[in-house]
Amino acid sequence: MTVAAGVGYVLIALGPALSLFASVIAKKPFLILTLLSSTLFWLISLIILAGAWRAFLPVKSTELWPYSILILTSVGFQEGIRIGFWRLFKKMEDMLNAFADRVSKPRLFLTDKMQLALAGGLGHGLAHAVFFCLSLLTPAFGPATFYVDKCPSIPFFLISAIIALGFVIIHTFSMVIAFNGYTEGKRKDQIFVPFAHLIAALITLINLVPGGCNIGLPLLCIMAGTTLYYNWQLVWRRLTEHQTTRSSD
Amino acid sequence: MDDRSADSDPVTAGESSILDTLGEDVIRIVSPVSLCMLLVVLLVSSLSSTNDLSSSISSLFLSSTTTPTSFSSLNLLLLGSDSTWEEIKSALVTAFSFVVVVTLLTFLLVLLFYFRCTNFLRIYMGISSLFVLSFLGGFISLLLISHFKIPIDPFTFAILLFNLSVVGVFAVFMPKFPISVNQGYLVAIGVLTAYWFTMLPEWTTWALLIAMSLYDLAAVLLPIGPLRLLVELAMSRNEEIPALVYEARPVDPQPGDRVRVWRERTDVRIEATENSTNSANVQTVQETRLAVSEEITAPLIEAFPQTGDRHLGTEEEEDGIGLGSSGAIKLGLGDFIFYSVLVGRAAMYDYMTVYACYLAIMAGLGVTLLLLAVYRKALPALPVSIMLGVVFYLLTRVLLEVFVVQCSSNLLMF
Repeated sequence: MTVAAGVGYVLIALGPALSLFASVIAKKPFLILTLLSSTLFWLISLIILAGAWRAFLPVKSTELWPYSILILTSVGFQEGIRIGFWRLFKKMEDMLNAFADRVSKPRLFLTDKMQLALAGGLGHGLAHAVFFCLSLLTPAFGPATFYVDKCPSIPFFLISAIIALGFVIIHTFSMVIAFNGYTEGKRKDQIFVPFAHLIAALITLINLVPGGCNIGLPLLCIMAGTTLYYNWQLVWRRLTEHQTTRSSD
Repeated sequence: MDDRSADSDPVTAGESSILDTLGEDVIRIVSPVSLCMLLVVLLVSSLSSTNDLSSSISSLFLSSTTTPTSFSSLNLLLLGSDSTWEEIKSALVTAFSFVVVVTLLTFLLVLLFYFRCTNFLRIYMGISSLFVLSFLGGFISLLLISHFKIPIDPFTFAILLFNLSVVGVFAVFMPKFPISVNQGYLVAIGVLTAYWFTMLPEWTTWALLIAMSLYDLAAVLLPIGPLRLLVELAMSRNEEIPALVYEARPVDPQPGDRVRVWRERTDVRIEATENSTNSANVQTVQETRLAVSEEITAPLIEAFPQTGDRHLGTEEEEDGIGLGSSGAIKLGLGDFIFYSVLVGRAAMYDYMTVYACYLAIMAGLGVTLLLLAVYRKALPALPVSIMLGVVFYLLTRVLLEVFVVQCSSNLLMF
């Protein structure tokens, strides 16, 4: 529905991501590089999943179970990859600390590490939004719109934009939570992330039922809000702890 | 070191960490490459309703202008482009002949450089930039004007085109021009040439990309390769090769410490020894004074030599990636052009391939920069990126698209 609507959908999906980028990430060139590499990482994981599932697609049945297997395997694979991503992150941290020692600058601060995790998560979220929402938005710039059978009340582009928004928030902040959890070794944080991802993905299964998107979309936004709140509490706690340990030295 | 001990919150104390400035040089080369690709994608998606050279031209004129494109359209006319096998054959013939022409011209370039005809080369470079900016720029502007129905009269158009082209030629090959104008015009030349190349038929474009990346690999790394000969000649004579090269220098250096900033950055990046980028003590200043005198006598030996030349049918650009005498990364304009051609051709299929190919090219560029930091000699920037780009294009088109469309149309996302 014209360029204005197309741009509007893009901004719905990517608005918070763009503001995070402009305020936090654009200032430090290394974070931009981290963002690009984590986007590439997510794309590679998506291509591997697509390759594994290629033989079974397109799924023609309207039953629930093929799609739930699809979702379960995909989420499981991506969460497994996240641990690998964390190992790469640790290696990069060591290299950065070694470099900092060589040029006699201070080592990575806690806020630096959190910013790196944020950039990594934003890369994942951005990749999701780009491949699941933006690449299908091209017809939205034209003169018409499109409705899916199962959801006749909201245009398809708006639904995918809102889902992409939810997932951008979930991916971005669950990376911060996950890295903190792996660093500190807290089980609660480590379990929360795959759990949240899985629940969010299963919520989208509700969209398969006719009229389900009216329930699915708000639930997804609630899930995104939960992740955001959990992340806020975690970061607040860590920063105040860090503050008190430093000032007590 | 005392003031850097950890006893206060870094945010309130305003300490800088390495994360603030690390990777600046890479971003300064990634941004113009991304801008060039973005402009080509925008041009391609707004201007092409069909993918073919003949329909674009027939929308304006009835005759084609430059040799490579008319050769391929002639090929198509002769062979009849209906069957895929015929297209592939003509694509391979075109790509092979292009590579042969480029090799011969590069050897001619090496010969001219050997006989010190530098002025001839510089004037030729100026004329070819003028050609690209005025003829190609004019052609593409006319396409844009007719597509978007912009009201403009021929006299204004002619004056604007003339002015922009002449300033562009000066910006590109006069040494004291402001760097941001120089960089802007180089990106513009890259965009225009890349858009021109995307008007080739599909199989020809892919064959050309793969052939050029193989040629690049051979020409820069083999001992008899023309680009390697050129680089060695330039190194032995301490001269700069006259060519179109994008140099990622910072746009506004501080007036007093212009040379020191670059010199320090060179040290930090290559040796990472005693100079730190934000200390301004006496030792650094002394080091800089030595460095200035050294730089004048031997710019190419201590910083790393740049790149080679490649003749691209109508103009002369450098190819490959290297480090300039100021320590800034230099990337040849030919690389800009071929990256943008790949992304532009991906845009003709779908936007998903554009994003995938963009990420692949960035990854390839990152790998090449890493290899540059390790090996420290002129490296071909095309092969890794183009190969990754082609692989990702195929994977996206074959695997990813079905998967994503299947999931999204059922509103199933993860």
